[in-house]
Amino acid sequence: MIGTLARKSLRARLGRNVFIGLAIMLGVSFVAGSFVLADSMKATFNNLFTELSENTDLVVRAELVGANETEGALRDPIAGDLVAEVSAIDGVELAQGSLQRFAQMLDTDGEPIGTAGAPQIGASWSGEGPLNGITIKDGRAPDGPDEVAIDKATADRVGYDVGEQITIVLDSGRRDFTIVGLVGLGDTDGFAGATTSLFDDAAAAEILGAGDMVDTIEIALADGADIDAVRADIAEILPPRVEVVTGEQVAEETADAINQIVDLFGTGLLIFAFVTAFVSAFIINNIFGITIGQRLRELALLRSIGANSSQVRRMIVIEAVVVSLTATIVGIFGGLLVARGIIAIFNQAGAGFPDIGLTMQIRTIVVSLIVGLGVTLASVLIPARRAAKIPPVAAMRPELGFTALSASRRLVGGAVVTGIGVAMFLVGLFVQPGGGTGLAFFAGGGALLTFLGVTSLSSTVAQPVSRAIGAPIERLFGQSGKFARDNASRSPRRTARTASALMIGVALISAGAVFAASLRDTFGRVLDRAVTADYIVTDDSFQGLPPAVAQNLGELDELADVSPFRSIFGTIDDDQVAVTAVDPESFDELIDLDVVEGGYDGLIAGNGVMVYGDAADERSLELGDEVNVTYQNGLESTLVVSGFFDDNSLGGSWYISLDELERASDQTPRDQFVLARLADGVDPADGRAAVEGALTDYPQAGVQDNAEFRAEQEGQINQLLVVITTLLSMAILISFLGIAITLALSVFERTREIGLLRAVGMTKRQLRRAVRWEAVIVAVFGVVVGVVVGLSMGIALAIAVPNSVIDGVTLPWANLLFTLVLAIIAAVVAALYPAYKASNMNVLDAISHE
Amino acid sequence: MSEMMAPPPPTVAAAAGVIDARKTYGLGDAAVNALDGVDVRFEPGKFTAIMGPSGSGKSTLLHCLAGLDSLTSGAVFIGDTYLAELSDKELTELRRKQVGFVFQSFNLIPTLTAKENIVLPLALGGQDGDEVWIDRVIDTVGLRDRLTHRPSELSGGQQQRVAVARALATRPTIIFADEPTGNLDSNSGTEILQFMRDAVDEFGQTIVMVTHDPFAASYADRAVFLADGKVVGDQAAPTRESIMDQMAALGH
Ligand SMILES: Nc1ncnc2c1ncn2[C@@H]1O[C@H](COP(=O)(O)OP(=O)(O)OP(=O)(O)O)[C@@H](O)[C@H]1O
Ligand SMILES: [Mg+2]
Repeated sequence: MIGTLARKSLRARLGRNVFIGLAIMLGVSFVAGSFVLADSMKATFNNLFTELSENTDLVVRAELVGANETEGALRDPIAGDLVAEVSAIDGVELAQGSLQRFAQMLDTDGEPIGTAGAPQIGASWSGEGPLNGITIKDGRAPDGPDEVAIDKATADRVGYDVGEQITIVLDSGRRDFTIVGLVGLGDTDGFAGATTSLFDDAAAAEILGAGDMVDTIEIALADGADIDAVRADIAEILPPRVEVVTGEQVAEETADAINQIVDLFGTGLLIFAFVTAFVSAFIINNIFGITIGQRLRELALLRSIGANSSQVRRMIVIEAVVVSLTATIVGIFGGLLVARGIIAIFNQAGAGFPDIGLTMQIRTIVVSLIVGLGVTLASVLIPARRAAKIPPVAAMRPELGFTALSASRRLVGGAVVTGIGVAMFLVGLFVQPGGGTGLAFFAGGGALLTFLGVTSLSSTVAQPVSRAIGAPIERLFGQSGKFARDNASRSPRRTARTASALMIGVALISAGAVFAASLRDTFGRVLDRAVTADYIVTDDSFQGLPPAVAQNLGELDELADVSPFRSIFGTIDDDQVAVTAVDPESFDELIDLDVVEGGYDGLIAGNGVMVYGDAADERSLELGDEVNVTYQNGLESTLVVSGFFDDNSLGGSWYISLDELERASDQTPRDQFVLARLADGVDPADGRAAVEGALTDYPQAGVQDNAEFRAEQEGQINQLLVVITTLLSMAILISFLGIAITLALSVFERTREIGLLRAVGMTKRQLRRAVRWEAVIVAVFGVVVGVVVGLSMGIALAIAVPNSVIDGVTLPWANLLFTLVLAIIAAVVAALYPAYKASNMNVLDAISHE
Repeated sequence: MSEMMAPPPPTVAAAAGVIDARKTYGLGDAAVNALDGVDVRFEPGKFTAIMGPSGSGKSTLLHCLAGLDSLTSGAVFIGDTYLAELSDKELTELRRKQVGFVFQSFNLIPTLTAKENIVLPLALGGQDGDEVWIDRVIDTVGLRDRLTHRPSELSGGQQQRVAVARALATRPTIIFADEPTGNLDSNSGTEILQFMRDAVDEFGQTIVMVTHDPFAASYADRAVFLADGKVVGDQAAPTRESIMDQMAALGH
């Protein structure tokens, strides 16, 4: 019987249930989508790398000590002679040396082809398959120094075809080639977004400027050869710091590296997905609360004709479960769409993902069900319990119905929850128990509790606050404004909960904005103080600038001081550190490290090292002490402490000379950037022209003056904020959907009132205006609370971060104001439908509405 | 029974009226003629009661007169305005300025105080209204000490008095009341009827009231009888007895 009632009621309230379902569905599909995306990308990449290395049994390569390639460490090249020596070993069927360097393709207009961050690779052609998995899509393999094969994805994108000429900028200079082939990795047309140019094996070393070196040697074994034995034989002939590993291991390492990135990305998405689900819970809770309130009479009638309270409760819960189960299932499928959508967005941005087959794991389904059903049950249990307690007499006198939690109990409860939440949040940030997991648990959990507590608290202040927000509206819009104001403050709990959904999104955005603004300003201050260079030549290829860039600049008369900034990983006292090599003669004129003792003399003289004060204190280093360092390629060196400095905010706590680095490593030198200062009396315009003229063959080198550099860095931080905001947009969207739904339900609830108002002379326009401003009041309320909470969180976050990253809090007022304005506009949009509903009610029907 | 007549010039001394009013609900066999050729005018400064059995079309007539509903055919005028010519906006304005309303129940906006409810039509028009007049109305209905109360804090009779005060506040051309005493006990009902009577006598207000109660109708200057959507009787200066007689003649 209860089942029948539930079913009838579901059908009768279809519209509302669709809204509830929509909120659940959006939350669930975002959660499911995050999982699907991460799982699918991992599966695809893992397959790809396993497939590619299928025929590579062994790999010879330089060792990497105390660093890994994920962090950007590059292996040293190895002697090309080794290829022949390895080939000669018994059991080796095929050994091929491979080379990979920077290569910037130019389009037909001579402009560099961009990649949105993916590498621009020039590599040796080692033949189609079996060792490298490359397949020819069109044309043939390059043969001789004037031919190139390029990836089909780039060719299609830019409009190149077989037989055409292409200019490619390489370390060896700008050269013209004939495109003879279009290639791709395995079944794909590209190389996961990288632009790839492949050159004839024999000519590659010269073209790529690698001398007689190769990066790695891939080895296929003869049938029946014992891999362990061959491996041991190879190891025997290898020089020091060169290793031989299995192809399997290399594939695993590559896959691990990719998985790490995918996991990071997936976890980030998942956090935002959970925020979205959390926000949906507020909306769903509110809708259930309102609809049950509207059904009081019906429920009381059921009670008065003999239904017991558990039957009433069951009926409501059954209804909710049916809606949420349906929505969750739709949401799980929606997750597939979300994953596809995100992949499409990335591909649009040039990521060039291979064809990713979506995988739906049991885990994804289970988590989605828990989220979907959990959110619903958490939202409906309390209203259902309260509804079940309705006295039967409420059928006749509905005002007897709900006895809501008293304001004072909510105040106390809200304050306690908020207190615990804030405490957890602060402990997570400042004490950081349990490392990263602890941070996530305490800070995340604390934020969650804070949101819940603040929601409860805000319902106790919703009345005065929304009256205050409405005051200017009433003054401006007279009677319509007054209605908006009265209605918004009429059910404070409803207003608070509707606003809270928005509050969460706004709080997270505000916190992000404070953090980003503080980061930006700190960085700005660092630049102002520390950077005395006039030009910063940046590396747009993300693979490091060739040393010729710094050399060319050094030859210019217009420039007084030039120094590259070159980093390598090293191990000191078992700690992995970044060691930065600079030109010690000129660096002091370009960057002010705030040297407090000693100076660059030791670096100029030889193996001196400048140490950041804190790093020196940790190891109790004095001037003249010796420090043993193992560089990432395994070479060891002894450095002599020759100075201390106090500003490491540009990165790097250990500075050595370029000469010392070159002694230590025979790796192709790669500069992160190059700094330069104008000679006295040179006009900046002339200086710039000279710098740009010297770099025409290096399209990857971007010339920026101090202000441009700063603007770009700030732009990157702003972009971070844009990403956060975009990911929160789903939560924000849901909160505005919540405002629209709540308002529509309220309008329905006030049907008779609206009829009466229309009868005594309220125009449709006035009515629409009242509904619209009510939405604005609710939204502004949410934004105000959100900004207060978000600013506090952001400030705490900015203080918790080390001073070298953020040394002062900046409040981004412009951003916050923008959020407010945007929220008002969105509220007006959210109010469109409810306002339309309200103004188009038939006056007579409305008056006689029960 | 009613031949087609040309609309009278609007200058004719009537506060409101309908001419050959027909209102049909539904289609075909299920069609109901709620109003079946009604001609009636209401003189200014007079209190008219509309009576008739349940379903005879009283409420329908009132709604059409007040511009809340439209006729299937025929004409409605209030003052010198024909309602059919008005847009929704103009109709709303007419209701706000020229028409007053008292319903059987749910007459007040719950969020507004008594005073705010009384001046609501004025506030909607962005006017302050005539303070002296509103004061006089408030005193007449005896609500001075209840002005800051909300409807939930007022008794049914008091709520109805607020509704009458609201109807009077704009000095409308005409006030329509649909069973205003239907939900009240006889004491409160009598009070409301007396206020309406006073409003007619003292302020020259025009009032049209639908009622089932012969006692209520006896407060009016005139009683119009409807049955099956037609006017079937029209008494001047009705008394309880004359009304009961007429009702009995109509088969009640
Ligand atoms: N919206 C409607 N749809 C269909 N028929 C309607 C509608 N409103 C009224 N009617 C019919 O029109 C006729 C007149 O109704 P009306 O409400 O005017 O009667 P009444 O005289 O006010 O009755 P009562 O004294 O019971 O209030 C009735 O037969 C009624 O069923
Ligand atoms: Mg009626």
